[in-house]
Amino acid sequence: MKFDAIEPGVYPELVYPAYKSTVKRGPLQPMLRIEAPLPVTKNIVAGPHILLPHDTDLTAHGDSEPLGEKIVVTGRVVDEDGKPVRNSLVEVWQANSAGRYWHSKDQHAAPLDPNFYGLGKMLTDDDGRYRFVTIKPGPYPWGNHDKAWRPAHIHFSLFGNVYAQRLVTQMYFPSDPLFDYDPIFQSVPDEAARQRLVSRFSLEHTVGTEMLGYEFDIVLRGRDATPMGL
Amino acid sequence: MSKITTSQTVGPFSHEAWQWAADACMPGALKTSGPTLLLSGVIYDGDGNPINDAQIEAWIPAGAAEEAEQLIPGFRRAPSGADGEFSMRIPAPGPEAGAAGEPLAYITVFARGLVKHQFTAVFLEDAAGLAQSAILNQVPAARRATLLARQSGDGQYHWNIRMQGERETAFFDYV
Repeated sequence: MKFDAIEPGVYPELVYPAYKSTVKRGPLQPMLRIEAPLPVTKNIVAGPHILLPHDTDLTAHGDSEPLGEKIVVTGRVVDEDGKPVRNSLVEVWQANSAGRYWHSKDQHAAPLDPNFYGLGKMLTDDDGRYRFVTIKPGPYPWGNHDKAWRPAHIHFSLFGNVYAQRLVTQMYFPSDPLFDYDPIFQSVPDEAARQRLVSRFSLEHTVGTEMLGYEFDIVLRGRDATPMGL
Repeated sequence: MSKITTSQTVGPFSHEAWQWAADACMPGALKTSGPTLLLSGVIYDGDGNPINDAQIEAWIPAGAAEEAEQLIPGFRRAPSGADGEFSMRIPAPGPEAGAAGEPLAYITVFARGLVKHQFTAVFLEDAAGLAQSAILNQVPAARRATLLARQSGDGQYHWNIRMQGERETAFFDYV
């Protein structure tokens, strides 16, 4: 595949002082544009054997139903030509409905839910589609600044079809009032690029009286894939 | 304007979700048939402080053939520890890989405060073919040393990752 340089503003700023921990962690030298055949043609091979029975139903990890609003999240993963990224590993993780992560470092004084860990993984299908059932995560405070609250979000980790397509990002929910105050969301200068991180409510993917649907499509870098997508 | 989905930080809470792949390459779980070497190092921020919540991934395309039994052949994932330390056991490169100037491993770095993952690559300082490496030859000469792992013992190599500073690791954007 070919990987065009990304225009300024589409990626977040590596050093964005409003998000304090970027200041000493964001590289200061420009990324080197490197020609290398393997990263743009090959990848790890993650087959179905890595999947566990409830990896795509995060509400089924405990002895009973977790608390909160059950939702389904789905979308297509495509490349810059719009071609589906098939058979590709996607990992997701998130806070519970109270805004608390199942993680030893999360000190937020909100309750853990013994029936919800907020961890999942899946492979995209032949149309590039993924789908998982979960609980709508709550917003939560963090120590970045006074009254710093993260908008509700689900973390995504994507492996793509070739190594250079790797992406880690966050999916947000429509019309969150915290967007304007969140330096992580705002670290992306381009308004349209920010908005592409916001999922859409989907009546089509809503399941009867069980759960509302949200759709989040993902465009990975790379164009001119070989016909097999490899 | 590109329509790609932009990046966001991995944040501090990835560990539980990412652990399944890290567990698969821990000593005792790793299923690799050929000889291996131990790559270890520390990841530092711009003040020289260790980063204790990074995730380091390594991709070893040439090693995948020896790891058909491994959960993800030729792939390693290691969270950094309390002192920024990480280590992974990697298939020792055959003579062909060394001669071709291929890296020991292609590396991807994630951390809280790092809003986009960073690609880089690590080479053994004593590998044959370093001078012919197509990748190293695209890195300014003054920065090549940031990609070289130093031998620290029999079958052991040490390689630090520095996010900033005079010895900032050379990070890549693939064409």
